[in-house]
Amino acid sequence: MAGPLAPARTPETTTGEEFQVDRPWVTVVWDDPVNLMTYVTFVLQELFGYDEPTATELMLQVHNEGKAIVSSGPRERMEHDTNRLHAYGLWATFQRDS
Amino acid sequence: MKPFRRRGDEVVARFVDAEASIIGLLLDQLEQLLTADPEDAGGDPVLDRLLPSGHEDLEVAADYRELTESALRAGKADDLALVRASLPPEGGEVRLDDDQARAWLRTTNDLRLALGTRLDITADTEPPEDPAGEEGAQLTVYYWLTAVQGSLVDALAAGRGGRR
Repeated sequence: MAGPLAPARTPETTTGEEFQVDRPWVTVVWDDPVNLMTYVTFVLQELFGYDEPTATELMLQVHNEGKAIVSSGPRERMEHDTNRLHAYGLWATFQRDS
Repeated sequence: MKPFRRRGDEVVARFVDAEASIIGLLLDQLEQLLTADPEDAGGDPVLDRLLPSGHEDLEVAADYRELTESALRAGKADDLALVRASLPPEGGEVRLDDDQARAWLRTTNDLRLALGTRLDITADTEPPEDPAGEEGAQLTVYYWLTAVQGSLVDALAAGRGGRR
């Protein structure tokens, strides 16, 4: 709450870096010719708790468009998600949301 | 092979002698690859696929690999040991609880990834018309593993549907 006694706000300089810190990270699953469509759907449900229609939609996006964002959030969590997907043999990477 | 199907809390399949031998052989090869000296196995496309890069930036990817790769390798080794222990070497019935089934799921996927990478499988690859010959035989094994894994996915997905 800003009252008369509140300190005058000093304008903060926003550098590119500070801006980037606020941008979320994402985990991307990429298409590959080996993983079964049913398997990818199963793994997305298993790891992220998606219901079947959502997992199927993401799987189809991977299949048809070559990739899909399957989770987003802080970098550490995206690294963890990438790791869990690698354990299941899905081709996954983490990156800053573009 | 009798494909995986759900029986109560378990999934069950049956493999004949020759099939169990093939899985055993593939497990041995996978284990060798995963435990090989990185100096010798470096640049192997199969290893690149099983332990993929996590980020497009090489430096970030290297840091990430340092943090995660040993645990990823250890997980694969545990899964592999579990599959080996649950497979009768002379063939027979395989009964798996949920955790064991997931280890089978991951390992059969790794075996398919390894074979698929070696055989240069693409979206357009089709089962061999002539299963004789080295490549035909390997492709046949690849498609057979696909059937094994597919039945396992379906059996597990069916169980999940039933629990809701």
